[in-house]
Amino acid sequence: MSLDNLRNLYQQVILERYKSPRHRGKTDPVDRYQKGHNPSCGDTIELTLHLDEAAERIQDVKFDGEGCAISLASADLMAEALRGRTVAEALEMVQRFQSMMRGEAEFPQEFRKLNVMQGVAQFPVRIKCANLSWHTLKAALEAQEAQLAAFVSNE
Amino acid sequence: MTLAQERTLAAKVRADFPILHQQIHGKPLVYLDNAATSQKPLVVLDALQNYYQQDNANVHRGVHTLSSRATDAYEGARDKVAAFVNAASRQEIVYTRNASEAINLVAYSWGTSNLQAGDEIILSVMEHHSNLIPWQLLAQRTGAVLKFVELTETEEFDLEHFKSLISDRTKLVAIVHVSNTLGCINPVQEITAIAHQHGAKVLIDACQSVPHMAVDVQAIDCDWLVASGHKMCAPTGIGFLYGKLDLLRSMPPFLGGGEMIADVFLDHSTYADLPHKFEAGTPAIAEAIALGAAVDYLSAIGMETIHTYEAELTAYLWQQLQQVPQIRLYGPKPDANGEGRAALAAFTTAAVHPHDLSTILDQAGVAIRAGHHCTQPLHRFLGAQSTARASLHFYNTREEIDTFVAALKEAIDFLGIFLDKRNWATHSSMPNNPCA
Repeated sequence: MSLDNLRNLYQQVILERYKSPRHRGKTDPVDRYQKGHNPSCGDTIELTLHLDEAAERIQDVKFDGEGCAISLASADLMAEALRGRTVAEALEMVQRFQSMMRGEAEFPQEFRKLNVMQGVAQFPVRIKCANLSWHTLKAALEAQEAQLAAFVSNE
Repeated sequence: MTLAQERTLAAKVRADFPILHQQIHGKPLVYLDNAATSQKPLVVLDALQNYYQQDNANVHRGVHTLSSRATDAYEGARDKVAAFVNAASRQEIVYTRNASEAINLVAYSWGTSNLQAGDEIILSVMEHHSNLIPWQLLAQRTGAVLKFVELTETEEFDLEHFKSLISDRTKLVAIVHVSNTLGCINPVQEITAIAHQHGAKVLIDACQSVPHMAVDVQAIDCDWLVASGHKMCAPTGIGFLYGKLDLLRSMPPFLGGGEMIADVFLDHSTYADLPHKFEAGTPAIAEAIALGAAVDYLSAIGMETIHTYEAELTAYLWQQLQQVPQIRLYGPKPDANGEGRAALAAFTTAAVHPHDLSTILDQAGVAIRAGHHCTQPLHRFLGAQSTARASLHFYNTREEIDTFVAALKEAIDFLGIFLDKRNWATHSSMPNNPCA
C-alpha cells in the first residue's frame, strides 16, 4: 500500500478532526440553515450559522451529518475558520478553497490550517468530499433567511 | 469442484482479459467492481474491431455485401441472446441501450396504455433506481400506486409480505432477480406464478443474474426480463428486453424513427413487425454483435460452470470477511457451498467510512465500489448512508480475495488507530435526514 500517498491525504489534523470534531452540532440561535448533499456517494451535511444582528458577520458555525473522513474534517476546519468573519470574507474563502482544490492557490498564513486539505487535490475523485461543506456554506450565505427548503446538491 | 480445478478455471480465462494484467499504484490490479461493470474478453474486443474493419455498414437498409454482412451479424447476435435466455422466439428479444432503457420502454409503451388511477405496481425496497424511477414516473402520469415488498430478517425478499400486498388491483410486479447490494437471489419463479394468479404482469430485472447463472425466461414465465450487456462481458451501450411475443405485439411503439416502420405517409405510419417495432433509428450495431460474442464466450465456459465456481468464491469471500473485526455484512449468508446468494458482499466497518476505504484499497490496487450502488431507498431501509461493495466475476481468484481482505485489514489499521475511540453512536443517526 502506498502509505506516503495516503499520509498526504489523511494528514494528522484531518484524522483528529474526524475522530473528535470540535464544531459538530447546531448553533443557537439558527440564523441560516442549509442542507448539503453529495448525491453520487450519499454524504450529507447540515450546516447552521449564527450571524450578528446586521447579518454581516458570522458569530458561530456548526455542522451535523454523515460522511467520510475528508468531508467531515473539511466541515470542522471550515467551521473554525469562519468564526468572526464577515459574510463577504466567507464567500471569498469559498472561492479560495475551491481554487485550492483545483491546485491553484493556498490560504494565507492566518488560515494555514485549511491548507492541510491540499492533499485531497491529488485525489480528484475525493475533491467533492472536501468541497461539500464549502458548497453548502455558499448556499447558506446566499440565502436571505433561515430556510428549511430543499438541500443543495454538490454535483 | 476442487480447489485445483478452481485455479484451473480462473487461470484458463484470465488470459482472455487484457485489462486484468496491469498494475495500479505499483500493485497488481484486483478488480472487484464487477456488479458495476464487467471486464471484456479479447473475443469481444475483436468482434468490435473486426466489425469496424471489415463489415461496417448500416443494417436492414442496403443491398450491398457489407450491409448484408452487418445485418447477418447483428441479427445473428439476437439469435444468440434469445438462445442464451431460452426465449421461445428471436422476435422476443429487443435490443436497447441498457436495462434502464428496456424498463423505460415497458413503462412508457405498456404502462401508459394499460394503467389507470388506482391500479397498483408492486416493487421491492431493494430495487436499483433503474427499476424504480420509471415506475415513479409512470405512477405520476397515470395515478397508479406503488407498493413495496420489504425484507425478511435475513435481508431477503419477503415472500409473505409480497403475498399480503398483491391483489386484483395489482397490474404489475417489477422485481430484481439478484440484488446488486444484498446479493440475495429472489424467488422469481414463485413471484411470477403468484402475480399471474392475480392477473398481474411481471418484469424481472436480471442485470445481476444473467452474467452469473443460467436464466431461463420460459421457466420463470415472466412477461418481460431486462439485462445490460456491459455487466455480461459485452460493451456498454447495448442491453436487451425480453418480452412474450403476444404482449410485445400488443404494445405501441416507444420511440419513433427509422427502422421501426413498415409504411410511412405524411400523416400516419404502420409499424414494422417485432422486434424492429421497438428499435427506432440506427442501432448500436457493433455493440450488439459484440454482445453476441460475449454470449458465445460465456456459453463456451458454461453458465453452470461459472455459477459453481462463483459459489465457491462466495463461500471463501464470506468466510474471510467474517474474520474482519467490526464488519457488518449485508444480505443473506451463503451456505457451506457458497449457494444462496450472489458472489458479492456489501459491507460497512465500524472504523472506516466506505469512501475512505475505497481510496485506501485503491492504493493497494484493489478496485471496490463505495456509495449507495444506485439503491438509495434500500440503504435508507438498512440504516446505512453508504456501503462498500466487493463484487466478483468468474475471472477472480481466491488469491485476489486474500489481497482484498488483507488490504481491508490494513486500511482499518491505518485509519482505525486514530479512530478507535471515536463515538460511532453519533455517527449512525442523522436527524432530519433530507432523503427520508
